[in-house]
Amino acid sequence: MMQKIYDWVDERMDITPLWRDIADHEVPEHVNPAHHFSAFVYCFGGLTFFVTVIQILSGMFLTMYYVPDIENAWKSVYYLQSEVASGQIVRGMHHWGASVVIVMLFLHTLRVFFQGAYKKPRELNWIVGVLLFFVMLGLGFTGYLLPWDNKAYFATQVGLQIAETTPFIGDSVKILLSGDADIVGAQTLTRFFAIHVFFLPAALFGLMAVHFIMIRKQGISGPL
Amino acid sequence: MSEKKQQVSRRQFLNYTLTGVGGFMAAGMLTPMIRMAVDPVLQPKKSGDLVAVVEVDKLTTEPQRFDWEIDQVDAWYESKVTKTAWVFIQEDDSILALSPICTHLGCTVSWEGNEEYPNQYYCPCHGGRYYKNGVNVPGLPPPAPLAVYDQDVKDGTLYLGKAISRKGA
Amino acid sequence: MHKGKGMKFVGDSRIKADRQPNIPKDYSEYPGRTEAFWPNFLLKEWLVGAVFLVGFLVMTLAEPAPLEKMADPTDTTYIPLPDWYFLFLYQFLKYEFAGGNYVLIGAIVAPGLAFGALLLAPFLDKGSQRRPVKRPITTGIMLLAITSVIWLTYESVAEVDWETRTEQNKPVLQPEVEIDKESDGYAVFNKSCVSCHGDNLQGGVGPTLIGVDYSVEEIKKIAVEGTGDMPSGQFKGSDEELQQLAEFIVSVNEQADE
Repeated sequence: MMQKIYDWVDERMDITPLWRDIADHEVPEHVNPAHHFSAFVYCFGGLTFFVTVIQILSGMFLTMYYVPDIENAWKSVYYLQSEVASGQIVRGMHHWGASVVIVMLFLHTLRVFFQGAYKKPRELNWIVGVLLFFVMLGLGFTGYLLPWDNKAYFATQVGLQIAETTPFIGDSVKILLSGDADIVGAQTLTRFFAIHVFFLPAALFGLMAVHFIMIRKQGISGPL
Repeated sequence: MSEKKQQVSRRQFLNYTLTGVGGFMAAGMLTPMIRMAVDPVLQPKKSGDLVAVVEVDKLTTEPQRFDWEIDQVDAWYESKVTKTAWVFIQEDDSILALSPICTHLGCTVSWEGNEEYPNQYYCPCHGGRYYKNGVNVPGLPPPAPLAVYDQDVKDGTLYLGKAISRKGA
Repeated sequence: MHKGKGMKFVGDSRIKADRQPNIPKDYSEYPGRTEAFWPNFLLKEWLVGAVFLVGFLVMTLAEPAPLEKMADPTDTTYIPLPDWYFLFLYQFLKYEFAGGNYVLIGAIVAPGLAFGALLLAPFLDKGSQRRPVKRPITTGIMLLAITSVIWLTYESVAEVDWETRTEQNKPVLQPEVEIDKESDGYAVFNKSCVSCHGDNLQGGVGPTLIGVDYSVEEIKKIAVEGTGDMPSGQFKGSDEELQQLAEFIVSVNEQADE
């Protein structure tokens, strides 16, 4: 039965070569922790991806309860935390996941950096990786505001002031982010919400796809 | 299964283990999330408090419309909601409080809402009609009788609660 | 493999008609100690992932995500603090040559240079050597950067009194109370306490007085002698007024407890 379905799809999509390429590609000895324990440093990238998956899933579920509105944002988060079964846990996963993903990303970046793995021919993948790092920091910054509690509000105010110090375009950047020249409020929250759940994740997915395709193309850098 | 001894190859064994570990990870991630998502489904149905609506001696054998307000708590949002009932005294002296929500598509019915149909509730949306006791006139769009409010009489005052559907009754 | 003329396709598509067999490569085809990605290597990765997930979930369960009071833009006493991974930047801006008149350097130029250099690392470090010891300048700069980030973060964290911070910002759904502003007690409150505790007892410089668990005697004592950050001698008035004030605050709290 399963075989029939597979054959039916395969005839229309020709997925076998793709699948065999993914499944059969060789993983070199030097990245395999079973042979060299020190190879655990190669796990950081995979773990970053894993936490990213947790973030995407928990974020999707959290929006079932969250409203990006200054009157109700905090109340909905409080309700989720105190009234909904496992709401506390899912919000915890998203909150701590945000920190863990930064830690993992940091470790992954350092591994690549100190091994000089960004050298020819992998320069482009390094650049994509650093862009991913920026996107993650952006997700952290915008996500911080969403619960609309005191620390969120005041940290965002500081962040916007920093953005304002950019020469020439600073003012415009700040207004673009906050939606109003003077107020950090209703429009700021909706903008940050849109950036956090639509714009940055879209960039994240695109960059991740490029990152992974390049890894498959170029392979893992050789042992030192 | 065949009688032949089934050899599990190294690759098969790894595949099974891989599926197991993958399943464990998926379950670990998704269990709390799905539990959170289905939480409203698992909440016990609230019976709703009874609210004083009208003194019993104001009721007649003719259905009258009464409105009252309840505090509605919708998760983090609290509001006042107006409820309406058609109330009258039945022939056996018991009180019947009918919900005005048409069982067809949820429009609001009213007593003698159409001059052509005296002594019936009339729904203006699709011409559905109900007899005085709330039972739907057969052959018209409404599939069930009007819902009846949970009721209680204390010290000469009528208290009404949640509307209980009579579907299939 | 077929190429060019004579190739057969499925229908009018460009999908090849002859199917490739879906058979994994034999293990003997892997040279040395290399491994197939699926299932051999992925299983190892997923085992690491499973252990990691358990640790992560334990952390999540042990420490609930913090939520402070609802944002109050009028709260002038609140000291803003970003998430921990921005703390180094936040601390950096406190220094003389990165803040104040030089804020452009601290906020834009320095981080811009650092992150720009990170982005362009492959073009700044062009040699073919990969070992860290063989490219001392690159390694040195990175180590310096990491050390300073860690040090700045540490400095920033050390300056914050975390316990009082969490204590002061516990989330509370403000109990709704009606304050009788005509009462004698409120008149006394309005004279001595309103500047710090707010006209609805909601707090300001001082904490809110709604939801405090003190007896009449205790409140009288605090009003005269002070407590915590509250200095003594705040209350000015007669003993009778003091009694009225304490009874007023207790009555408001009894109402809030309902």
